[in-house]
Amino acid sequence: MTVWESMREFLSEPSTWSGPDSIWVRLGEHIAVSVAAVVIAGILVLPLAVWLGHIRKGSAIATAVVNIGRAVPSFGVLAIAFLIFVQIGAGIGEPWPVLVALIALAAPPMFTNTIAGIQTVEPTTLESARGMGLTEREVLTGVELPLSMPLIMEGVRIAFVQVIATATLGALVAWGGLGRFIVDGFAQQDVGELIVGAILVGMLAIAAELGLSATQRATTPRGLRVGR
Amino acid sequence: MMAQASPLIDWQWIWRNMGEILDRTWQHLSLTAVSVALGLVISLGLTAVVLRWRRTYTPITWVTGLLYTIPSLALFALLVPIVGLNATNAVIALTSYTLLIIIRNMVAGINGVPEPVLEAADGMGYTRRARFWRMEIPLALPVIIAGLRIATVTTVGLVTVTAVLGLGGYGYFILRGLNTFFWTQILVGVTLSVVLATILDLAFIWLQSALSPWARSPK
Amino acid sequence: MRKAFRFRAVGAILSLALLATACGSGDGATEGEPIKVASFNFNESVIVAEIYAQGLEANGYAIERRMNLGAREVVKPALESGEIDLVPEYTGTVAGFLEVEQSADPQTTWEAARDAYSELGVTLLAFSPAQDKNAYVVTAETASEFGLENVSDLQPVAGEMIFGGPPECPARPLCLQGLEDVYGLEFSEFKALDVAGPITIAALEGGEIDVALLFSTQGIIAANGWVSLADDKGLNPAENLVPAIRTEVVEAYGDELVALLDSYSEALTTEDLTELNKRADLDQEDPAVLAGEWLAEHGFVE
Repeated sequence: MTVWESMREFLSEPSTWSGPDSIWVRLGEHIAVSVAAVVIAGILVLPLAVWLGHIRKGSAIATAVVNIGRAVPSFGVLAIAFLIFVQIGAGIGEPWPVLVALIALAAPPMFTNTIAGIQTVEPTTLESARGMGLTEREVLTGVELPLSMPLIMEGVRIAFVQVIATATLGALVAWGGLGRFIVDGFAQQDVGELIVGAILVGMLAIAAELGLSATQRATTPRGLRVGR
Repeated sequence: MMAQASPLIDWQWIWRNMGEILDRTWQHLSLTAVSVALGLVISLGLTAVVLRWRRTYTPITWVTGLLYTIPSLALFALLVPIVGLNATNAVIALTSYTLLIIIRNMVAGINGVPEPVLEAADGMGYTRRARFWRMEIPLALPVIIAGLRIATVTTVGLVTVTAVLGLGGYGYFILRGLNTFFWTQILVGVTLSVVLATILDLAFIWLQSALSPWARSPK
Repeated sequence: MRKAFRFRAVGAILSLALLATACGSGDGATEGEPIKVASFNFNESVIVAEIYAQGLEANGYAIERRMNLGAREVVKPALESGEIDLVPEYTGTVAGFLEVEQSADPQTTWEAARDAYSELGVTLLAFSPAQDKNAYVVTAETASEFGLENVSDLQPVAGEMIFGGPPECPARPLCLQGLEDVYGLEFSEFKALDVAGPITIAALEGGEIDVALLFSTQGIIAANGWVSLADDKGLNPAENLVPAIRTEVVEAYGDELVALLDSYSEALTTEDLTELNKRADLDQEDPAVLAGEWLAEHGFVE
């Protein structure tokens, strides 16, 4: 059977489109966990990063965090999280271990880019803002945040795309997501299933990349936009 | 009786398996080194192309970016019927993941070389090739090394996933630990992976500093 | 100028490293080349593969290990292509994969498998009396609730049950595919877990699945009071452990190698496997250590 035929066969199976192992279910699981991870990671690190950037104290920490984050293998974090959750009886097949591992993956780039972003705002700009009578809070929300949006959004974008790709590993710890098609396709030597899974993840990642790039551009204050 | 996991660290196991740990260290290092080296070589070639024909930058970034979005698990699995269940499979996939990072940094680094310097080189009669190897690359070095650094640390993490091919380096311990609920193996695998990544990271920081004394700034 | 030189030096070193690692993966076994011993991705396979590996090492053979390689879908091609040389196999499943006759009789099954495999360049040596078959396991509660003793008792209730097994299960004739074809079982859901490992065990314990695929030699079944449903329609053929080794390697090393492996096969019993599995699964003992102890107990090593 050729690759093409295998793909067609997989796509023509009813179980691919309805039921617990369908594309919709896996896609939903994958998106849900990815979005949740990025959002939670954002809630956890963005306030701190904004504050550190604001008081201009974050550079060294930012660099260290992103370095450590990159050095820790997601597969390892996933395995550890999985064992912990099994031990506390959280159930096989639940998304918690995957969520934990993905939060750990998403946090560093968002943290670092946010600090860097806030710190790119020129001190003179801030002085003028203060000079015009803006309170510290207004300086932050009215000047620093809008101006650092490009870099902050870039951090979110990087995080999101990495999370989508890495969520596939969840299939190695009895979870679902699109990785399920990859792992099962590999195990059952069903090339069609494998490729469909890979393509779906790729498409999801590209969609996220494009969507967030557009958001990045949209949230860039007009004055900062590079002419397109 | 519950299928409970073992106690946290079994030092005896570590002691007994030092040989395996060393073997896996070598495996992890060589998979990383070969992939990054290969990625560097390919990136050099592609960068030369980009510099010569500027319009190729977008398609090249597009292709390497596309490779980057293919989840590693899928790429390893897809290569099995093509190259088999071996290191070649792992290296091909790992190398493709380094390309986007290295090329992007290489091009950015070279673009950052000041115009006057290039003009001076032309003025002195350098051929395009000589200018590339003797001016552009050396001056772009800090940024290139930064790219290599990121690529290397990222690759160290990805090597763990090659455990699904029966390789894995330290990832072998992570996978085995997962198959047997054995904490020691998982922790050993993760810790050593982090240590290796950190050592290589620091090595690159040092290299960056050593190769570009003019770029060292008191930060 | 110095920078360019540094470049060339680094380049040279890297090319050498590349060559070194590339040369490391040679193929074709000849005297002197290490024998690549592999196992599937479950404890019993690792234990038996370690028995082969350590036993041979004690007799001066150079061994390269590739344990926990994966499922048969992945290991079989690796064996046929020479990626690995020796792996502990199961006669019935091999016969099934090679699409030849499988029966409950060990000898017939082995002969059919051996003949078919030899055409692919793989030799099946003498088979062991030890057998390990797929087991379809439910908890004691489930068994009493639905009155389950045989696999065919599942027929009326399978639609309300969740089946848990390794990812390759749905495509396997001795797993879901066979259960459907031979027993007419259609479960409400299949959960991909691991190969009769702690994840599957935990899932059965925790009630995430109702029926688990385990192995008949896993002591944990009895230890937990679980019920291994009887294979009343005889889905599972004989599954004797047998060393599958590349014919090239046998020819290169000759009778001494074969005699050694035969001696291990002969000494291995189903009770041994059950005991070893129990210690690996329940007591978390190291498969490699267990293999060494078994070899010592039977006088194969010091």
